[in-house]
Amino acid sequence: MRVRSSILLSSFCLILAAMPALAHHAFSAEYDADKPVKLTGAVTKVEWENPHAWFYIDVKDNAGKVENWGFEMGSPNLLTRAGWGRNTLKVGDVVSVEASRAKSGANIANAKVVTLVSTGQKLFTGSSQGQTTR
Amino acid sequence: MRSFVCCIALILVLGSNASAQWARTPDNTLPRTRDGKPDLAAKTPQARDGKPDLSGVWQSDINFAALPPGVQTVESITGFGAPRYFVDITADMKPNEVPFQPAAAAQFAQRMQRQGKDDPAAHCQPTGVPAIHNLPIPFKIVQTPGLIIVLFEDSSVFRQIFLDPRKPVEDAQPRWMGYSTGKWEGDTLVVDSVGFTEKSWLDRLGHTHSDAMHVTERYRRKDLGHLEIEVTIEDPKTYTRPIQYTQKASLLPEEDLLEYFCTENEKDIEHYR
Repeated sequence: MRVRSSILLSSFCLILAAMPALAHHAFSAEYDADKPVKLTGAVTKVEWENPHAWFYIDVKDNAGKVENWGFEMGSPNLLTRAGWGRNTLKVGDVVSVEASRAKSGANIANAKVVTLVSTGQKLFTGSSQGQTTR
Repeated sequence: MRSFVCCIALILVLGSNASAQWARTPDNTLPRTRDGKPDLAAKTPQARDGKPDLSGVWQSDINFAALPPGVQTVESITGFGAPRYFVDITADMKPNEVPFQPAAAAQFAQRMQRQGKDDPAAHCQPTGVPAIHNLPIPFKIVQTPGLIIVLFEDSSVFRQIFLDPRKPVEDAQPRWMGYSTGKWEGDTLVVDSVGFTEKSWLDRLGHTHSDAMHVTERYRRKDLGHLEIEVTIEDPKTYTRPIQYTQKASLLPEEDLLEYFCTENEKDIEHYR
């Protein structure tokens, strides 16, 4: 059908958007790849539960105001098979997070790279995260 | 876009890396290569009744060499891909060859425009047969002479394939997994499934089907480590001719399933835009 032809061949991004839905939902249903954000703060909470692991950090802006941000990762099952544990990230750890913001404008984002500030360790380095894009 | 692709690469890798230490149980019955690894090319195991034994923990292959037309750039950027039919069951066809009935074409286009927001999986509903075998998430086949049980890590759901001579129930409650009966044709297990709910999607793009869908799956375990599932979807209400594809899966030796309940900590639905 012409409908499929025009959509499938011209809508490259939509197909990309479908890819991260491996665990649960389409990336593009919630997040905006064109709204990258890099934030640093101390971990306040870790939720190691399906369908997605989440962690939260307190972020201080230039005026000293503190806001809590939530970051979504893959499912604990996927992370576990990649070598993560539920104690890999602990409350109090200071991390730097590169992520894509939610379309809703809420203080949530889809985490791509998590760096432990004290050691510089990239917590996603068990995968090829960044290797092909840096 | 770079960061977006980066994210995709990450998730695909996480999905494909099933060699971690978690839930691994040494299996001394597995044939080994000289270096001590499971010999995935060893001969197909045999069940006590002489049939090929399909039992094992399997995961559909991520084959980036076979991405649908138009997305080849993904692998060139990331080096990673996705299970072809997980994304698009019509990936083997040219775009103008998909045999949509007019209403189905319109429904598919509408789902595409919604960018996955209406995908049942995004709302913590199951992925149905046959799509659930295309996910890059493990499933476990347990084979007995009269019944084959498939346990899926995704949504912690199951399906039963009855090998006794029963017939499908008339006017059965529509099911996500359908109602499956099977029989052996030589070394191939042929599974017929009917009785599907229309709610399930056939892939992540949103290909549709009706309650009249008839799915035929032909399972063949080529050797210890490799399973092929040839799928034929017949649904005259939706497609003017059958759609066929072959999903390949690989054994995850010494692995087991994990638990997965989507509603445990679902936080996304309220943010879909």
